[in-house]
Amino acid sequence: MKRKNPFDLSFSLLTAAASATVLLLIAGIFIILVKESSLSIEKFGIYKFITAVDWNPVKEIFGAATSIYGTFITTFIAMLIAIPTAIGIAIFVTEAAPNFLKGPIGAAIELLAAIPSIIYGMWGLFTLAPLMSRYIEPALQKTLGDVPVINVLFQGTPMGIDILTSSLILSIMIIPFTASISRDSFNLTPAVVKESAYAMGATKWEVIKNIVLPYSKLGVFGGIALSLGRALGETMAVAFVLGNKHHITASLLDPASTITVTLANEFTEADTDLYLSSLFYLALVLFVLSFVVLAAAKFFLFRAERRHSR
Amino acid sequence: MTEQMELEVRNLHFYYSGTTQALKNINLPIHKNNVTALIGPSGCGKTTLLRCFNRMHDLYPGNRYEGEILHEGSNILSDDIDLISLRSKIGMVFQKPTPFPMTIFENIAYGLKLKGIKKRAELAERVENALKHAALWNEAKDKLHASAYDLSGGQQQRLVIARALAVEPDVLLFDEPTSALDPISTGKIEELIMHLKNDVTIIIVTHNMQQAARISDKTGFMMLGELVEFDVTNRMFTAPSEKLTEDYITGRFG
Amino acid sequence: MKLQKRRKIKSFLALSLSTAAALFGLFWLIFILYDVITHGIGALNLSLFLNDPAPPGVEGGGLRNAFVGQLLITFFATLIGVPVGVLGGTFLAEYARGTKIARLISILSDIMVSVPSIVIGTFIYAILVKPTGQFSGWAGAVALAVIIIPVVLRTTENMLSLVPWTLREAAFALGAPYYKVIMQVVYRGAATGIFTGILLSMARVAGETAPLLFTSFNNAFFSTNMNQPVASLTVTIFQYAMGPYEVWHQQAWAASFVIMLFILVITITGRLIIKWRYKK
Repeated sequence: MKRKNPFDLSFSLLTAAASATVLLLIAGIFIILVKESSLSIEKFGIYKFITAVDWNPVKEIFGAATSIYGTFITTFIAMLIAIPTAIGIAIFVTEAAPNFLKGPIGAAIELLAAIPSIIYGMWGLFTLAPLMSRYIEPALQKTLGDVPVINVLFQGTPMGIDILTSSLILSIMIIPFTASISRDSFNLTPAVVKESAYAMGATKWEVIKNIVLPYSKLGVFGGIALSLGRALGETMAVAFVLGNKHHITASLLDPASTITVTLANEFTEADTDLYLSSLFYLALVLFVLSFVVLAAAKFFLFRAERRHSR
Repeated sequence: MTEQMELEVRNLHFYYSGTTQALKNINLPIHKNNVTALIGPSGCGKTTLLRCFNRMHDLYPGNRYEGEILHEGSNILSDDIDLISLRSKIGMVFQKPTPFPMTIFENIAYGLKLKGIKKRAELAERVENALKHAALWNEAKDKLHASAYDLSGGQQQRLVIARALAVEPDVLLFDEPTSALDPISTGKIEELIMHLKNDVTIIIVTHNMQQAARISDKTGFMMLGELVEFDVTNRMFTAPSEKLTEDYITGRFG
Repeated sequence: MKLQKRRKIKSFLALSLSTAAALFGLFWLIFILYDVITHGIGALNLSLFLNDPAPPGVEGGGLRNAFVGQLLITFFATLIGVPVGVLGGTFLAEYARGTKIARLISILSDIMVSVPSIVIGTFIYAILVKPTGQFSGWAGAVALAVIIIPVVLRTTENMLSLVPWTLREAAFALGAPYYKVIMQVVYRGAATGIFTGILLSMARVAGETAPLLFTSFNNAFFSTNMNQPVASLTVTIFQYAMGPYEVWHQQAWAASFVIMLFILVITITGRLIIKWRYKK
């Protein structure tokens, strides 16, 4: 009955076409990036491109290892700071805070998540980087700079334009996002299950640790993976303060580059086909990488949802 | 009455956050090794009263008690009562089964671990006893390390009862424990409750008058936050002294 | 009981840590907001909105070109992205409701929402800028539209799913064909929600920078020609903040303040609408 009306048929086809754009876009991005980077793929292959540390536009030698390393190290440190903080915040807003604070602080966290990354980046350049170079980094050098093994992390002149500052900004940017997903997952724990743990004489922390966290584990994992995907692909928060230097360094006080920062700084300046093609290749690597991470995130969140709807 | 008193409610008033008074001047004796049922139309305050016995209302700010509930000579409503030990002495079973996100074994061992019992052998023994006590041992013994969610609804409810029993409480509070279960599971739980009263004192809130009549020794009938009548169950259901009680029991309202 | 005391102390410490985490998070929020507001308001003046940029390093001048460019790009991005998103969401929630393909497109849209926006910039560069040999406002608008589509699509799907099925049945019972039911009954029921979703998606793209870098690029002059490079606030902020002149830095702060204000106002409005419409 539904499909007999010709107007109805055309409207349904129109909506179907509109929703198909999502499929087209994802396939299109992949295909176009592969096509545009084919020159570079032919020249450098996959393994060699990913592992080579030379990024030299003058000699036309392009290896992605430095950018990939920068992407991983900044993301790793950012997640190291962001995950515990975000989970702490989520615990605070759902369980620990007095009731009159739960709403306002939750709302503040959500607003923080809405601030665009360029503002984080610019603030990092003008405010955070000077603070880092003047106070925090010298202090780190003084205290941890003499500790064997760890001291390699804090070598060089503290300029504030470096991996540490970038990671910190990146973490500040993803904290609200991670916290708000974790909070939503925590809130899925049925109140009556929490009550029954309290009714056994559990303390608040015991209820959080033994009931709320295990109950919302999948959702929190999903949230973390989603934040990881965001952090990997973030451009503007790090573009201001990372310095775009292609090398692999152990020191967190050195400038570096990420895939996104390389793209932002060099894309419009690429003067040869191979250079541009290699940049497209970098974009392809990032696309595949974040797609995999985001798909894993969706998988966790999907399972979390299913578990709760049972 | 010569029976021993487990809990004694004296002039209890209770106010939910804000100003609404939910309980008005309740006086009620709870006798040892009895099943005491609380009945009444929904919204009458029976669950509110039940949740006073283990101070569940303290989880939410703004709630206020007046009066006393005496247990072993001390007032459990006083501010200096330690809620953790109170709740380990007065356990609770809820309307819906509330297994924790752990294995069957860990669910039952949970309260014991909170009490600081760590030895594997002792834990295993007490878990087994609790499961036997709750008539779940035969069904669960082969899957102790499976998730508690793998059990059926009725089994989950018995698991929760076993969990509450494992810490050897003085009192168990049941808040409509069978309202989410099928008739067969309900029968099993009722049987279990009647059997358990040899070891613990039981207070049960139920909306099912037949259930109260079947399993309880004493019954309290509540309405609009007040205790209308309290008596031995048989007498209450055959010859109530209050007109209101009679009307409710004979199904004239509710 | 010593054990109980230990458990309580442990609980207290853990909750204190979570409070510390919240304070740490709030500290940065207040720090950033305070900084952007004080610097931004200090640098705000009328000529910022009325004048075009002065030559580099020269005092005065404004960002009129960037404000207008930003509005143009956002407007066209919305114009392209919203219909596609709304129609696509309609397919998922109505014609394809409950099917595997709807599920798949939903999941892919969610992934699409978080795909690095700079990758979208390179993609649009390859299909719109490279063939024409020209950065253009259109390329920027399409890049932002690509970001808008999955956001609006998912919101629409969710909002339509909230409309009770019985409402559709009631309309069917009157003999209305499905497309009329959707347009006259379902859309009306979900209008507030969809509208809010559109608002929030605009807030999302208003702050996007990375996808504009290689599409609409930048333009130091006033231009409303969408076939030419068009200035945007965000790209201007990037360029000015990284530049050497103090005047540029001041204007970058001011522009950031304006963008932040715009986004916060839209976000708060959106949330209030949702609260008002769906919590009652």
